[in-house]
Amino acid sequence: MPAEDRVDPTMLDAVAARMARSSAAALEASHELLAHYADTGDASTQRAVDTLIDHAADALRALTDSFTDTSRGLRAAAGRASTFPSLEASPGRAGRRRDPFA
Amino acid sequence: MTVPLIHGDHISCSRVGGAMRREASRLRQHAQPLDDAVGELAGWEGPDADAARAATAATVRALRATADDLDEAGAALQSYATDLAEGHELGRRAALRVQGAGLLLDGTRVIEPWGPAGAQEAERRRARVPEVQARVDLATAYVGRARGRLGREMTRLAQSFSGHSRAVHPALRQPLPPR
Repeated sequence: MPAEDRVDPTMLDAVAARMARSSAAALEASHELLAHYADTGDASTQRAVDTLIDHAADALRALTDSFTDTSRGLRAAAGRASTFPSLEASPGRAGRRRDPFA
Repeated sequence: MTVPLIHGDHISCSRVGGAMRREASRLRQHAQPLDDAVGELAGWEGPDADAARAATAATVRALRATADDLDEAGAALQSYATDLAEGHELGRRAALRVQGAGLLLDGTRVIEPWGPAGAQEAERRRARVPEVQARVDLATAYVGRARGRLGREMTRLAQSFSGHSRAVHPALRQPLPPR
């Protein structure tokens, strides 16, 4: 018998929405970094700056993916919790859970 | 038209540094509400709760660290932009000295011009080479030090950003299991 989520689904949805906003902000930041060019005037320094910008943009995209992934997971959990409001769980309903997005 | 002694565009460096710091500030504004969110998740009991809390907390930590490093990188670029502007001015003055002494620049080396010149004139020019060369060296060394500082800082922070990417990837590899 699968365990149930004991949580307020609206709270999970609210946290998921925050995550989604942060995901969008991180993606926007990565685009912003790649939109500009700093001319340092020296080949070796230029490579160091360009590499830094690439790595910073990668880190921001990784954050974007992570926030998106976690947000999706929270929404799924909220769906399950709202289908079976386990804050008031009754043992008789526990075996009838289903994926709300299936 | 003379080739500038000091290359680079301090305005573009300042612009990129400013953009980095602006984005760092925006990202930090997201961190506090997310910290609050992690707190709200504390009461959640369920099979996915621990994994979700761990993934969320790790991502928020990485967000803060990324924002901090982005701010540092932006500050380093802005500082370099200031140094580069100063270097341009030193270079411009040095180039004026070269020209005023009737000498030429070959890259960063001060040379005497080719062609016929009176012995007295040639001797006068030759005598001024060390002093003018010292002015050129002052400008190039000033910018060289600034480039060294920037390069080291960029390399250090690039490694740090890679660490942040790795820190959030485990969370990506272990998403909340679909049920």
